Amino acid sequence: MNLSAPELCLLMAALVACLTLGSLHLSVNLGLFAIETVLIALATAFMGGITGDRELYVIALLIFCFKAFTVPLFLSWISDKLMAQRDIGSFLPAPLSMHLCLILFVLSFALAKEIPVSHAAGHSWPGASAGISLLLSGLILMLARRLAISQVVGFLVIENGIYTFALTQTRGMPLMVEMGILLDLLVAVMVAGLLIFKIQKNFEHIDIAQLKDLRD
Amino acid sequence: MSSIATWSSYLLTVIIFPPLCLGVVRKTKARLQNRVGPAVWQPFFDLHRLTKKRETLSDTMCGVFRLSTVVGLSTTFALAWFIPWVPIKPWSPHADIFTVIYLFALERFFTLLGAMDSGSAFGAFGASRDVTLNLLVEPALCLALVSLSIIANSTDLGAIFSFSHFSTVSLVWFCAGTSIFLTSLAELGRMPVDDPTTHLELTMIHEAMTLEASARNLFLLEFTRMLKLTLFLALSAQCYLRIWAGFATLAPFQQELLVLIGVLLMAIFVGILESLVVKLQWRKVPEFVAYIVTVSLISVFVAMAGNTSL
Repeated sequence: MNLSAPELCLLMAALVACLTLGSLHLSVNLGLFAIETVLIALATAFMGGITGDRELYVIALLIFCFKAFTVPLFLSWISDKLMAQRDIGSFLPAPLSMHLCLILFVLSFALAKEIPVSHAAGHSWPGASAGISLLLSGLILMLARRLAISQVVGFLVIENGIYTFALTQTRGMPLMVEMGILLDLLVAVMVAGLLIFKIQKNFEHIDIAQLKDLRD
Repeated sequence: MSSIATWSSYLLTVIIFPPLCLGVVRKTKARLQNRVGPAVWQPFFDLHRLTKKRETLSDTMCGVFRLSTVVGLSTTFALAWFIPWVPIKPWSPHADIFTVIYLFALERFFTLLGAMDSGSAFGAFGASRDVTLNLLVEPALCLALVSLSIIANSTDLGAIFSFSHFSTVSLVWFCAGTSIFLTSLAELGRMPVDDPTTHLELTMIHEAMTLEASARNLFLLEFTRMLKLTLFLALSAQCYLRIWAGFATLAPFQQELLVLIGVLLMAIFVGILESLVVKLQWRKVPEFVAYIVTVSLISVFVAMAGNTSL
């Protein structure tokens, strides 16, 4: 199997996302998320090289600055403030969810092969399978974790998956749309961070499993 | 190469190399702790001393104890004969991967019997821990070897390790080598799982099983363990060497030399690892093993993807 550079980066990002499931430490999760996003930014830049689309370079730079740098730093600052180093425990044991994620990684290969591929430069099904796999790992991360910060990380991984899928299947989104999405994402993470502070203040924990009861 | 030279080199590697390997591990650890440490050939003297000591036996023992060490060592010699762990071997018999895995299991079974036969409580719980550990580790080893057999299209270890099409499979070799190496750490009771130098019986795993053995029995047990360590390290060293595609085209004696140097380097690496990491809590060990299984799974998936030439 011959993989081009962006495909390799995206598959590695999907693999890193699978490994994220294996650890309950928030700092490890955030570090792996940062690595994953840097790989996606690299893939975007390589894709810009292949398709000759200048806008992709700008998008890669923006992803690197915002998603790979600011967001993980902000989240680790929050977890320091709240003194939450570890997820309290998940509904599924961490190693098992990692194995489940790897199996889904393979299933997404089978799924992505069925997608009709346009024969334009740089559009390929391994990249699409990486996108689907990222989406599913984000989903498992959100399902399996109990801490509110981990939920935010899961959301960001899902977003990465959708972006990857768009990057490999369409000709990438226009620069304005992509900038809008990134700004939305930044605001969403900020708001989520504020909400987490608020939850901590009112309930004295950020365990979403215990947020089922209503209180006035 | 003449058969006498082949035989003598093979016997030398089987007899001389395992104690040397352990000596290198111990020397590295000592140097990293700022001690001079015993010489690398100290394990030879230790083994020699054991043969001259008088044996103490528990009253409750029956013949199984004696039998277990002998069967253990002979099974390990059979493994050294089966597994292509060095390129120069007098014969290369057909060694199916599952035969090899179950020969390892047979050796382990007799060690367990021996530990339980002595009637000491420590032996029994060491045995129970060892069984738990090996139950966890076995899938990792199986999957790693299966991934290699997928890329070579054969379950014969000899065919796998003389396989020479290296288009896109270096990642498989890397993952499988890492997996075999980490498996060996767990299986042989090296550092992240079990401390080989511990003196507290409650934390022992493998050492607890050898507590009752003395003199020649201990000699057999120790040598079996050294040989197993060398076999595992040589397998993973070969996997790592095969990442470099030119390895298969070298002459056999060059390959042999590289593999032996590789094993010594791995032994040094084991020493460094044992000085850096802390022993895991017993409850955390399944998590560590789960990561080994993950590496094996990745290697199997990459092998499948590479083999079907998608």
